[in-house]
Amino acid sequence: MTWRSIARQDSALTVSARSVKYLLSLLVLGILLLGYIYPVVGAEPYTTSRFPGFAQGLLTTLVPFVGVLLGYNAVVSDRESGAIRLTLSLPQSRSDVVLGTFVSRTGVLAGTLVAALVVYPFGELELGRFLLFVGLTVAFAAVWSGLGIAVSLAVATKRRALVLGFALLFLFVLVWDTLENALTAGLSAAGLADDGLPAAAEFLFALAPGRVFERATAGFVDPSRSLGEAWYLGEWVALVLLALWIVGPIGLAYARFAGRDLS
Amino acid sequence: MVAIEADEVSKRYGTETALDRVDLTVEEGETFGFLGPNGAGKSTFINILLDFVKPSEGSVGIFGHDCQADGTVARERIGVLPEGYSVFDRLTGRQHIEYAMRSKGADADPSEILDRVGILEDADRLASDYSKGMAQRMVLGMALVGEPDLLLLDEPSTGLDPNGAAEMRQILREENERGATIFFSSHILEQVEAVCDRVGILQDGELVAVDTIEGLRESLGGGTKLVITLDHLENGVLDTVRTVRGVETAVSNEDSTLEVTCTNDAKMDILVELHDAGVDVVNFRTEEASLEDMFIEYTGRQR
Repeated sequence: MTWRSIARQDSALTVSARSVKYLLSLLVLGILLLGYIYPVVGAEPYTTSRFPGFAQGLLTTLVPFVGVLLGYNAVVSDRESGAIRLTLSLPQSRSDVVLGTFVSRTGVLAGTLVAALVVYPFGELELGRFLLFVGLTVAFAAVWSGLGIAVSLAVATKRRALVLGFALLFLFVLVWDTLENALTAGLSAAGLADDGLPAAAEFLFALAPGRVFERATAGFVDPSRSLGEAWYLGEWVALVLLALWIVGPIGLAYARFAGRDLS
Repeated sequence: MVAIEADEVSKRYGTETALDRVDLTVEEGETFGFLGPNGAGKSTFINILLDFVKPSEGSVGIFGHDCQADGTVARERIGVLPEGYSVFDRLTGRQHIEYAMRSKGADADPSEILDRVGILEDADRLASDYSKGMAQRMVLGMALVGEPDLLLLDEPSTGLDPNGAAEMRQILREENERGATIFFSSHILEQVEAVCDRVGILQDGELVAVDTIEGLRESLGGGTKLVITLDHLENGVLDTVRTVRGVETAVSNEDSTLEVTCTNDAKMDILVELHDAGVDVVNFRTEEASLEDMFIEYTGRQR
């Protein structure tokens, strides 16, 4: 159980860093602001079940950025400086380091999210659905802090980790919708597909973490929204994909990290 | 029981061979010095013991646990001072010791350890503000946590002043008396000579000698050095001396002094030979070859 001592150490060091405090404050402020303007600009009825639909855009942008920024330097900075040699000289394995760091950083992010979401009740409270929403948001946060840590495991310098992390954010957060629209327009112009994308492409675009999170919250939490008819766009599939996004990237990056020389 | 066992360990980086089929056994309770010039492969070997680096071939074990397959268990009974580490940025010296205690599940008094390595006064300062020598003392402190059965130290005296190096050696002696096996690398000979039961000499990735210091002396032709002061040095005297059986080297470094390394038996023959050649010997004395001479002898041989 030595990953616990690593997690404890890492979380203490993470929250004590000033940059992390700013980053997390930004997240809290964003969510609180959203909570306060929801009853003002949102549509009736104001319930916690419908809040996710309103918060979606902000959460699927802000959480990835904070997650990646929190995770990208996790292992690689210790590796670059040499502090990881002290960690691994002790009876702790590389998997302890990965698990401990993942639990610690995801915990820090999840704790902040939960605190921010719970502080303001966002209209009429429907407890069960609200807790589901909080749970799914935490899972989404785990996806992105996991991606951040995966990036920090996969490369040997902080600079490369940052570049790779931003490449992921750029792809999945900033240009994903544009790519899909462009492909749809292109296929339509070429006369290949008249009504939307072919199923394979539709499924491919539906795989992005933000889309998966959206479908899961829409399906499980928000009664007013409906998902597409295709089975692969259903909420249960989304839930499985969300789980895969949490363990997949970090698992692959760990396999790479475990076989590496550290010098 | 065997503390460290290396079986035909090799490490190659591309075409470069950092470690070439190293076979080594370190018995429990020994103080073993791992000697070699910089870049000889000492750190590569220790990095493999710690699983920082994977061997290309062969295997190493600590107390019977394979360092790669079973690394965590292998590291449970050891204290380590690695090479090329850096301290944790926002932790104090005391917190470093406490971290090692938590990780090893050891019950100890951090102050006692910090006092022993001589940094108790600075215990509550951030370790990132420490000098190299202080960091070295602190990491030695982390290594001492939990009374390990094996201390694995890579160039432990780096950054220490002569006083600090002497304190370090004293701690190593105490730990050895407690029953711990000590394995440390160094390129500084006095360090090794002062505390080690046995030494291994590494040269270009190959283990060229493993022996006690006594044994090394003997294997080098008795290792006797004869310093002869002559009335005056004539041409041809050096050549005369070199013809004597058992002489390894003969040099004159001052105007009338000869330094001859030879087997023990050859000493008298040299003096007789000089006498026969009509050279007046004013004075002579013998010296034991230092480890430094042996080291140069060993590592120079292959160049």
